[in-house]
Amino acid sequence: MGVVQTDQMVLNIGPQHPSTHGVLRLEVMTDGEIVSQIKPHLGYLHRCFEKHSENVTYEQVIPFTDRCDYLASMNSNFGYVVTMEELMEIKVSDRVEYIRVIMGELNRIASHLLALGVYGLDIGAFTPFLYMLRDRERILDMFEYTCGARLLYNYMWVGGVSHDLPKDFEKICIGFLDYFEPQIEEYNNLLTYNKIFIERTADVGVIPADVAISYGVSGPNLRGSGVNWDVRKDEPYSIYDRFEFDVPIGEGKFGTLGDCFDRYWVRMLEIKESVRILRQALKDLPSGDVHQALPKKIRPPKGSIYRRTESPRGDLGYYIISDGSPIPSRVKMRSPAFTALSCLDEVSKGWMISDVIAILGSLDIVLGEIDR
Amino acid sequence: MTVDFLIDWFSTIGNFPILAFILAVVISGIPLFLFMALNAMVAVYAERKVSAFMMDRIGPMGQGPGLHAGKWGLLQTVADAIKLLVKEDTIPQTSDKLLFKMAPFIIFIGAFLGLAAVPFNSSLQVVDFNVGVFYIIAVGSIGVIGIVMAGWSSNNKWSLYGAMRSAAQIISYEIPAGLSIIIPIMMAGTMNLQTMIQFQSGSIWGILPNWIIFNNPFTFLAFFIFFISAVAETNRTPFDIPEAESELVAGWMTEYSGFRWAVFFLSEYANMFVVSGLAVAGFLGGWQSPIPGMFDSAGWGLFWFMVKVIFLIFLMMWFRWTFPRLRVDQLMHVCWKVFIPIAMFNIFGVGIWKLIIG
Amino acid sequence: MYKYFTNIYETVNTLWTGMRITFRHMIHIKRDNVTLQYPEERWPRPERNIGFDHKDYNVIRSRLHVDIDDCIGCLKCERVCPVDCITINTIKTPTRGEDISEVNHTGETSNGTKKAMVVSRFTIDMSECCYCNLCVYPCPEECIFMVGGPNSSKHPIDYEFSQFDRKDLIYQFAKKLTPDQKKKLESPKPEVEA
Repeated sequence: MGVVQTDQMVLNIGPQHPSTHGVLRLEVMTDGEIVSQIKPHLGYLHRCFEKHSENVTYEQVIPFTDRCDYLASMNSNFGYVVTMEELMEIKVSDRVEYIRVIMGELNRIASHLLALGVYGLDIGAFTPFLYMLRDRERILDMFEYTCGARLLYNYMWVGGVSHDLPKDFEKICIGFLDYFEPQIEEYNNLLTYNKIFIERTADVGVIPADVAISYGVSGPNLRGSGVNWDVRKDEPYSIYDRFEFDVPIGEGKFGTLGDCFDRYWVRMLEIKESVRILRQALKDLPSGDVHQALPKKIRPPKGSIYRRTESPRGDLGYYIISDGSPIPSRVKMRSPAFTALSCLDEVSKGWMISDVIAILGSLDIVLGEIDR
Repeated sequence: MTVDFLIDWFSTIGNFPILAFILAVVISGIPLFLFMALNAMVAVYAERKVSAFMMDRIGPMGQGPGLHAGKWGLLQTVADAIKLLVKEDTIPQTSDKLLFKMAPFIIFIGAFLGLAAVPFNSSLQVVDFNVGVFYIIAVGSIGVIGIVMAGWSSNNKWSLYGAMRSAAQIISYEIPAGLSIIIPIMMAGTMNLQTMIQFQSGSIWGILPNWIIFNNPFTFLAFFIFFISAVAETNRTPFDIPEAESELVAGWMTEYSGFRWAVFFLSEYANMFVVSGLAVAGFLGGWQSPIPGMFDSAGWGLFWFMVKVIFLIFLMMWFRWTFPRLRVDQLMHVCWKVFIPIAMFNIFGVGIWKLIIG
Repeated sequence: MYKYFTNIYETVNTLWTGMRITFRHMIHIKRDNVTLQYPEERWPRPERNIGFDHKDYNVIRSRLHVDIDDCIGCLKCERVCPVDCITINTIKTPTRGEDISEVNHTGETSNGTKKAMVVSRFTIDMSECCYCNLCVYPCPEECIFMVGGPNSSKHPIDYEFSQFDRKDLIYQFAKKLTPDQKKKLESPKPEVEA
């Protein structure tokens, strides 16, 4: 008779696994169902964004930023162009700013819809996922109508946007918002208030505020822990200071502050706030030329800049060093999903395998952005 | 019934009792197997369509020229079956090959034997046991052995997790299911399914059919406990943790492909049919017509039975495409702390009710 | 004890709410259906009016196309491509703006610009293309564009261009030159490499 082995078991979740949201490998130490340690292994989707950027001109970097956070490409573009414009001291027209905000908020809704839907899928509810994808599709249709692309837009340029809005865009967008707002209630009834869903997410994977801050977690994940921090509000970029909106923070609605449900709920509330911003922006959309401030040649002065913006996943920062040539000397992207993933080990110790999936889903990571 | 009838008929031809028994079993077993396959095909198609309609999709559709899945995708499951049959049958190199090959058959046997005692109408039933209820419950848990074997022999961590979860879940949920099915036994005073159904003929208060579910509030509650436990026993959402797609890839079926996997699928849908059939026989009046005194010939009996079973299967699909899934410990919590106390309370309540009202 | 029963009540209540929603969607499938039976039905491409003057700028991202007769070989699109999927070779013509009939070279573009180059090679590797649309904007003759969009009268939208072989996705737009013709063109002056 051999000795009964009572060691912990190593379980590889991924890189091919239905709910790692991309190609992430989690090396999980398990004792039965209980997880004692998680080591995330990254790099399966590494595409050398930062090294690529050192070999192409400033405008050619924009298509690459699309591919980092592919679920919120507009916000990725937004961060880059805002940073570049500050470096080059370009003042873009009001119309451009409004269009950018509209596109950014629409993409925030699209990204959150996917995050929430996929979260439902992780928990096991299939139907809300398809309802949310159905509505996301309408947003993508609007993007296609505006710039021709559905996922990777390359829409925002340094000093402008590539296309002006189509003439009836405002009408379509208002029509969408009118359709969309009642749908939020339906998602809530179908998924959010479902007792099984609450049981699965409330009190699970609590990130206390101090842990969240010490790991550098940002965006809805940080706000879910009850920290009121939104770059749009606290360090307004573009024209976000002109709009009236609230920053939803987690309040431990059904459990502890900072649990999976809070992070989910903050995203749901943020969709509503985005709708509010969109309505305001569409109301006072000024007219003007979107190409007026386009520089003839993008050749920023010598120097460096770091600027952060609020992407759907959190603080998306760009650090750009220019040596005066048309090719950037260094482009560094501070990815919010990367920092969110870093706290996974700390948060999910002692929970079950099912909960690890739930926690990972609630962090809303995008592997394209983590590996860059 | 059918077997008994055939044996009697053979005995009129000549005196060969053993051969007659074997012949009778084979003759009634083959249609049962065909029914099982048909059931799986129809149920898979229905599941696809129901899920699609609930999700604002239209599911499998066939249009246009060339190879396609028939009108409204009716041939979709046929195509699926052909695909599964011609698919490469892979066996992992490090697996325990004997157990790996045996597991699908054991699961299949569990479902198949259960189907033998389902009363389709007053005479169409393969075997009419005097302990029919007990038999179906007992045979239904044979499948667990197959599941554990499949999970262990695959030599895959996901499979093992799935198998262990499945064993824990099915064994736990047998208890509330068993405690709830005791109530029809108490009411009818028999374990024989036919007698139990005959007990439910007639009407109460002139309007409602005299089904056990409408008999008193405790039986009403017991039906739901039994049905939900049955859903858990067939490993369907919200209790599908053994094959939880987003956690365990495919649970204990991860390493299976082709025909072996098809057998699992066949058994799952046959199990759904069996537990629904038991619920119908025990609580919903079996093949009795919902309008007492009308449409109660044998043909209508088959119709009513199928309608009731299909409704329950639809209910299972409805659950599946609406709910998220529970966690392992919550699953156990629901079983041991909610269902079992209520089921026991029900037994007590029905006993008192029977004592007082009669 | 109270909490135990409220929990059960809440569970049943919320689950029933969810079930009502899915059932409502199921019976209204005719109204709510969003599926498009792709090969038979296609999503209507919205008529785009992009609102500003550059009508020929495309708002569609699909297959790239080059009207080679309009190409003057300025290499702007090649330079701007972030993934280097465009390759252009040119040969200087003896006289600017003159037709060279033996290689089917037209001297003037449709805008009237006189061409100084014979484009001997213009390949776009669509398997590398990232559909960023950056090559479309700098083109002075508006000869490279994505099919569909405002050009749809000339080139209808084409997003179904999958191939069995990766080589088939390398599109050749330049007119075929035999080695002899190439030599003849190159003879007065050395080749201008891209």
